[in-house]
Amino acid sequence: MGLERSRRLLVLYGSQTGTAQDAADRVGREAVRRGCPSVDVLSVDEFDARLLPSEDVVIFVVSTTGQGDMPDSMKEFWKFLLQKNISDQWLEHVHYAVFGLGDSAYQKYNFAAKKLDRRLLNIGGKPLVQKGLGDDQHRSGYEGAFDLWLSSLWNALHEKDPMLLPRSIDNLDASTQCLDSPKFEVIFHSINEMVATGTSTLSDLNCAKNLIGKVRSMSLGKSHYKRPQYLLQLITNQQLIKSDADADVRHLEFESSSSDLRYQVGDVLEVLPAQDPDAVEAFIRRANLDPDCYITVRPKVIGKHHDSSADMSTPPVKLRTFVELAMDVASASPRRYFFEVMSFFASAEHEKEKLQYFASPEGRDDLFQYNQKERRTVLEVLEDFPSVQLPFEWLVQLAPPLRTRAFSISSSPLAHPDQVHLTVKALTWTTPFKRKRSGLCSNWLAGVVPRKGVPIPAWIHGGCLAAPPPSEPLILVGPGTGCAPFRGFVEERAAQKAEGAAVAPILFFFGCRNQEKDFLYRDFWVSHAQDGGVLAAGSGGGFFAAFSRDQVHKVYVQHKMKEERKRVWRLLSGGAAVYIAGSSAKMPADVVTALEEIVAEEAGLDSEAAGRWLRRQRAGGIFIEAWS
Amino acid sequence: MKQSALLLTDSDFVPVGAALSAIRGFQDLGEDDLLVITRALQLTGQLPFEPASLSVIVFASKSLELPGEQWFEDVIRVLKPGGTIVIQTFLPVADHGDKPSSALERKLLFAGFLEVHLIDMKSVLQPEDTTLLLTMKAKKASWVVGSSFSLKKRVLPKIQIEDELDLIDEDSLLTEEDLKKPELPPVGDCEVGSTRKACKNCTCGRAEEEQKVQKLALTSELLDNPKSACGSCGLGDAFRCGTCPYRGLPPFQLGEKVSLSGSFLAADI
Repeated sequence: MGLERSRRLLVLYGSQTGTAQDAADRVGREAVRRGCPSVDVLSVDEFDARLLPSEDVVIFVVSTTGQGDMPDSMKEFWKFLLQKNISDQWLEHVHYAVFGLGDSAYQKYNFAAKKLDRRLLNIGGKPLVQKGLGDDQHRSGYEGAFDLWLSSLWNALHEKDPMLLPRSIDNLDASTQCLDSPKFEVIFHSINEMVATGTSTLSDLNCAKNLIGKVRSMSLGKSHYKRPQYLLQLITNQQLIKSDADADVRHLEFESSSSDLRYQVGDVLEVLPAQDPDAVEAFIRRANLDPDCYITVRPKVIGKHHDSSADMSTPPVKLRTFVELAMDVASASPRRYFFEVMSFFASAEHEKEKLQYFASPEGRDDLFQYNQKERRTVLEVLEDFPSVQLPFEWLVQLAPPLRTRAFSISSSPLAHPDQVHLTVKALTWTTPFKRKRSGLCSNWLAGVVPRKGVPIPAWIHGGCLAAPPPSEPLILVGPGTGCAPFRGFVEERAAQKAEGAAVAPILFFFGCRNQEKDFLYRDFWVSHAQDGGVLAAGSGGGFFAAFSRDQVHKVYVQHKMKEERKRVWRLLSGGAAVYIAGSSAKMPADVVTALEEIVAEEAGLDSEAAGRWLRRQRAGGIFIEAWS
Repeated sequence: MKQSALLLTDSDFVPVGAALSAIRGFQDLGEDDLLVITRALQLTGQLPFEPASLSVIVFASKSLELPGEQWFEDVIRVLKPGGTIVIQTFLPVADHGDKPSSALERKLLFAGFLEVHLIDMKSVLQPEDTTLLLTMKAKKASWVVGSSFSLKKRVLPKIQIEDELDLIDEDSLLTEEDLKKPELPPVGDCEVGSTRKACKNCTCGRAEEEQKVQKLALTSELLDNPKSACGSCGLGDAFRCGTCPYRGLPPFQLGEKVSLSGSFLAADI
């Protein structure tokens, strides 16, 4: 074919939350330490699938998302691989190995890795080792399986191709281990340089958006949200649950500073949270730096791999601004590699020992207990190891990137032009060591005072719930905050009805713990369930609520659905679309099972045929939005 | 084919008048609008129509047997959204106390038709005995139904799909083994133990309590006057034993009162 073969180790990752990326980075590092002359670590969406046959060795590290799917970044690549017209010899010269990250609590455990491994085999790929399957349920998370799989991989690769991997074992003697080179470089600017450029303030919206975009581009990869689509102002912050209940759920209303909001019901609003200024300040002080100094951060150019997307002429920013926008210092936990690098910069002997222990296979479980299970933050780790002084470029590389958080939109643009609403639960939980933790974004939003405070960077995109046409009957199931998108659906249909459109009925099942305590948007649902409303029982729809703790036995949405089986069946056989949303990852499966049971009973079918009819053969789809 | 109405029959012949009046019961017919296909069930392959091209199909059957699933799917394919199907047939043998029309009703529902119900219609084939004859009418959904959304697919409108490539079914890549419900991972024999080792000169009592694995109580006495002969308790969680009473607290200096940060649950005290 004339394709020049690239003599390198290629590591491709399909990552949803960054975990697979970290694992892939580790593969790359270990290869370098074993003498590999050329390694590249890329996200699958940075690699052209058509070039696969010209690679020598490709290692895949892929996560499986909650519903058994490929990560978003991998969808196109996967679609390419699934083409029927790929021959079974296409990858005959390519050696590969797959490691999957999954959670055995789900039926569809590691489906992405399993499917990928088999497909690569079917199109001619030569497996170096059996696929490895990492499991969140394991005592030490995915690393439990990863360490073993990596050893077998290096042994196999060394045997197959000693030029590509000269040493199969790393030098395990910690004292002779070398520190790798950091991925970023940080340039500190003197005051004189800064006079001309001046400082950007957030008063000019476009400038603000550009600033945020540029800062986040400095150190974040392709897959992160950079330049915000919108800068939102919070105009309403309303508590939906009585304050004596042990949860805090807020109804939030936002406006866009430039009145340009465009969205549909079912869409998702992605928000960049603000960090606690005290925590940011404490972090910068701990790093022995001046928050007001100006810096430029950019990837270090190593030989041939030039990241051309880095803007070399980005104006410098204040260190504080960079940390605020790009580095998560007081919420997310760092990874094992953070501890490994820290060990090189610890001046106290007992700290150095402990850090080396944490980074070793023997210390893996203890690290998991101390760090991941406790949701130890970067700031806390630095405070627990006071003798460590990490250079800032290492902190940039190792601190978890500040991530956006996504929420289902709970309003209809027809009912509220120029506004977007959210229904947010402020998350808190307790760790095994009895430390109280709270979700960064949800708690920050719960505390924002309307019409005060800095504009909020935000993006809107489609989610799993497609906006239904008004003539399509709907069955909606949304317990707890899962009711959020359906508030939008109901508002929209009521508005369409008021405009004279012919609308089909909606049947909505809601669930919560207590009717008196956490019945979200109660008045709203009840008013639309009156005669003539879109939730009216008379029209074939209805509104039904399950209160799980109001009686001795638990009553959930699926029980209410079974109670109303005739109504459900009538709509299902009438081509209704089914929408399920909520924060429990298992609830959708339970709801679909209940639907199958209803179909089986009402239509006189066995459960398999009922399932087939429900999912494929009838008019009307099934849409699920489940968040963790 | 430019026709908008189709009369299908498995009979060899059908009277034209009856055919016309059957269709006219559902829509007006121009000169070129109707196609008639006899011996319809002997057709190999699909009906010779473009998808979503017909408004009405009437199927007059003389046999007691109903067509198979594929036939119903093909009918849905060629019907326009909102289009009508009418099936006139003899009552199939009823079983399990079902209504005689139930089997046909079920087939129509499963193929994805809506508003399935019985109607009165003059017999098209004009058999001698019409006592067992029934006519059932149904509609195809009037909104456009996209590709089937099964549980596993997520809708991501942002991804531009250029052409509809022919793809294999990805579920076929999973084996029996893959589909079995996963077991929770066993404690591997190659695992290093996760129990923390006691400090060399532990005073919190862990060394004695090794067998019992009890966490020692954190008392207000210990908070006011923290003691730690091993010296590790004040260093923070990274250095504490598994049973250290100060576990969960931030690092502290010996001799100073330990402050409980707001993020520590003091339920035990």
